[in-house]
Amino acid sequence: MFFKLSLRNAKRQARDYLVYFVTLVMASALMYSFNSLIFLEDVQMLAKNIASLSVIIVFASIVVVCIIGWLVSYTTRFMLQRRSREFGIYLLIGLENEQAARLFVLENLAVGGFALVMGILSGCFLFQAMRAIILTLFGMSYAFVFSISLRAFLLTVVYFVLIYLSAQRKCRRRIRSMKIYDLLYLEKQNEEAVIQTGKKRRKIFAASIALGVIGTILLPMKSTGILGAGFLIVFLYGFFLSFASGVPAFFAQRPALKYRGQTLLIFRTLTAKLATVGTLMATISLLFTAVLISEGCGQCFHALFWNRARQNASFDLFIGIEGELQEHTPYLDYIDNNIPVTASRIYNIYLSSDAPVLRYIQSHTKYYAYYDKDTLMKFSDYAALRDMLGYPPVTLAKDTYLIHCMPFLKNILQDYDKPIHPGGSALTPGGIYTEPFNQFQSSGNGHQYILVVPDEVVSQTSHRIYAAQTSEPVNDAQFEALEQIQLDGSRPDYDWLSVKSREEAEAAFSTVIFAFPLYYLALILTMTAAAILTVQQLAETDRYQKQFALLGKLGMSRPEMTRALRGQFTIYYAMPAVPPVLIGVPFICHLGNSVEPGTLTGPASPLYIVSGTLALFFAIYGIYILLAYISLKKNVLPEPE
Amino acid sequence: MLEVKNIEKYYGNKNNVTKALDRISFDVADGEFIAIMGASGSGKTTLLNCISTIDAVSAGEILLDGENIDKLPAGELARFRRERLGFVFQDFNLLDTLNIEENIGLALALNHADPRLVKDKVEQIAEKLEISDILEKFPSQISGGQKQRAACARAMAAGQSLLLADEPTGALDSKASKNLLEIMTHINQDMHATILMVTHDAYSAGYAKRVLFLKDGRIFNELLRGGRSRSVFYHEILDILALLGGDISDVF
Repeated sequence: MFFKLSLRNAKRQARDYLVYFVTLVMASALMYSFNSLIFLEDVQMLAKNIASLSVIIVFASIVVVCIIGWLVSYTTRFMLQRRSREFGIYLLIGLENEQAARLFVLENLAVGGFALVMGILSGCFLFQAMRAIILTLFGMSYAFVFSISLRAFLLTVVYFVLIYLSAQRKCRRRIRSMKIYDLLYLEKQNEEAVIQTGKKRRKIFAASIALGVIGTILLPMKSTGILGAGFLIVFLYGFFLSFASGVPAFFAQRPALKYRGQTLLIFRTLTAKLATVGTLMATISLLFTAVLISEGCGQCFHALFWNRARQNASFDLFIGIEGELQEHTPYLDYIDNNIPVTASRIYNIYLSSDAPVLRYIQSHTKYYAYYDKDTLMKFSDYAALRDMLGYPPVTLAKDTYLIHCMPFLKNILQDYDKPIHPGGSALTPGGIYTEPFNQFQSSGNGHQYILVVPDEVVSQTSHRIYAAQTSEPVNDAQFEALEQIQLDGSRPDYDWLSVKSREEAEAAFSTVIFAFPLYYLALILTMTAAAILTVQQLAETDRYQKQFALLGKLGMSRPEMTRALRGQFTIYYAMPAVPPVLIGVPFICHLGNSVEPGTLTGPASPLYIVSGTLALFFAIYGIYILLAYISLKKNVLPEPE
Repeated sequence: MLEVKNIEKYYGNKNNVTKALDRISFDVADGEFIAIMGASGSGKTTLLNCISTIDAVSAGEILLDGENIDKLPAGELARFRRERLGFVFQDFNLLDTLNIEENIGLALALNHADPRLVKDKVEQIAEKLEISDILEKFPSQISGGQKQRAACARAMAAGQSLLLADEPTGALDSKASKNLLEIMTHINQDMHATILMVTHDAYSAGYAKRVLFLKDGRIFNELLRGGRSRSVFYHEILDILALLGGDISDVF
């Protein structure tokens, strides 16, 4: 009987908690998909050290369990608060505390269990999408095979049990110890906390803003990052807790501003809300900051790994040797016998007698020099290498030189019009090319740039290079054999070995290891925080209904009411997102600019990474906002018949 | 000022029609204080809802200063309500997130009053209704009587010509009720506001200049106070209520 009643009441509130339920489904789907990655054989076979992915996923899952645990715990407590009167009445008519507690816990476990089943079912499909992405990253073919991993299923169930056990135990204890009076008046207690003012709070408001600015500056710096993070945490809590009193004080001094348009309704609704949920807003803002930083780092890492790979792996096989020509012999012996080479070339990189181009670059941008002179390449080698790579052929006019550089240097070097004087000649600039050309490392085709000159003007050798294209990608065994030669202790200098297939696999591996878990955390954090905000907002539907019904009676027109509702809504959702954007954007920009110059350029430039990060964040957040707005508008301002 | 002509109001569908108002007609003169009494279900609140444009009549017409409010287009109704009508509800209906000054100022802001003058106007009206000392307080921090006076202030702040009160003393104790009714009398006599009050409390109705009695959706009787004292008028109201068949608990 009571279970039926409770189910009916729970159904009535389903409107407010649908978003919470969907979030639980999505969270369990994500958990199941990531757990499946740990156990899937074809993912485990991708790279020999991919086992570390399992460790990272388990660590990420522990964080996720804590976050979802918080979501469940918060929402359960919130639901209990909203339904306290109903439970008070059960107790009043004779139900024992223990029975009421069991009823509530069972209800929640049923919701959680249903979400888990739905989540695992959707997780099976989500996992297929993730598997497809990973296999594509590793350059492998993907075929859809529907499967349910029992071990992943069990691990997901264990995580869910952990999440629910802690939340329900707390709630059960709470109901068991509650008196009828507490339950009947629990909602009222909450309402009374609305008004909080005071000078002290205004001081906290000012101090927290100052700490926020200092924290944002300190956060990206290596030595002060932790201090900056501490300042920012204090800022967020200080700001949201004191905002509710700071703004009324502002408007109290400006009554004309307060009574303009819908300002009065909007600001009062918000400050009243903030006075009761200030701590929650601060926590959500903190989570959003973590989301933007995680997503930004994820995108930076992803771009970094792939750009490095692209620059390092223009040739299928590339060996840079600091020593003499005969040092190539062990490599060549192995390659001739084991690797199907279609084209190859051994050539020298030379040093100029001076460094005018190097100095010019250093005077215009951040550049870490490996050589103190400009590096040179013979035009005959350059033309042959371009031919090997399938780049369009180029010509070198008499008494000119070409520049081949990484794209980020083009803007600087295209204005360089000075002649250079290698081997006593006088050469003027003849053109700039920027295709990928193994220019990232010191023993490559120059460091980030090289000057292509007539063959006869070069003299001082810097290092030698073997570059080859193969008919099949160099496999792991071949790479390991070459690596053995590279690591041979009898060799005088350190060689640089770069294999395209290996570089791409490593980029894929690094993406999977670093970027995937960061996205995983970011997704869960965004969904959790947005779900809590939305549950809070939709729980106010009845209050909004009454408020707007009254405003209608008082003569507020429908367009004005829509504007007021939209204004309240926009600010409510914007508030916890604004500080994270102000903190996160400078952080991501700083991170993007602190890697080696030239790595994050073009579509991977910090500006694009920031835009991508914000787009991803607001896309997910936007779905929650839209759902909440549609539901609230439908209930609060229904379309007239 | 207000002319109610043969209005009828039906609820329900074809098979089950309930007649809430049945050919009701009466006039309210400028500056009058009129009470409408009747038992639960007699149609008092329906009548008030029709006059306040919250509900539409099924037949008949209501004219306010000669303007047929039933013919007003939907878009005009909101403007009409905020400019011409003031409301006082049984449960106060103050917004709990606004303080008293803002609750009163809201009516002015809705009427697009000059934002710079709102605060001064609120202070003026608060002084008249003796609530200046609670302007900074929130509804949850003041008594029921104070809330109702604030609601009266809001109802009149924008210079509305007709004040509609629905059981204004319903949630108040006897002392607060008396205080509110004196304030309403003051509003009526000194500030020349026209008041239409729905009540089932004979004591409250005793403050009016005229009382209309409703029964089963029709006007059953009408009582004019004239030059009689409030006490005599009160007892006459009780007599009519006895005729109406009201329970004694409805009377007090």
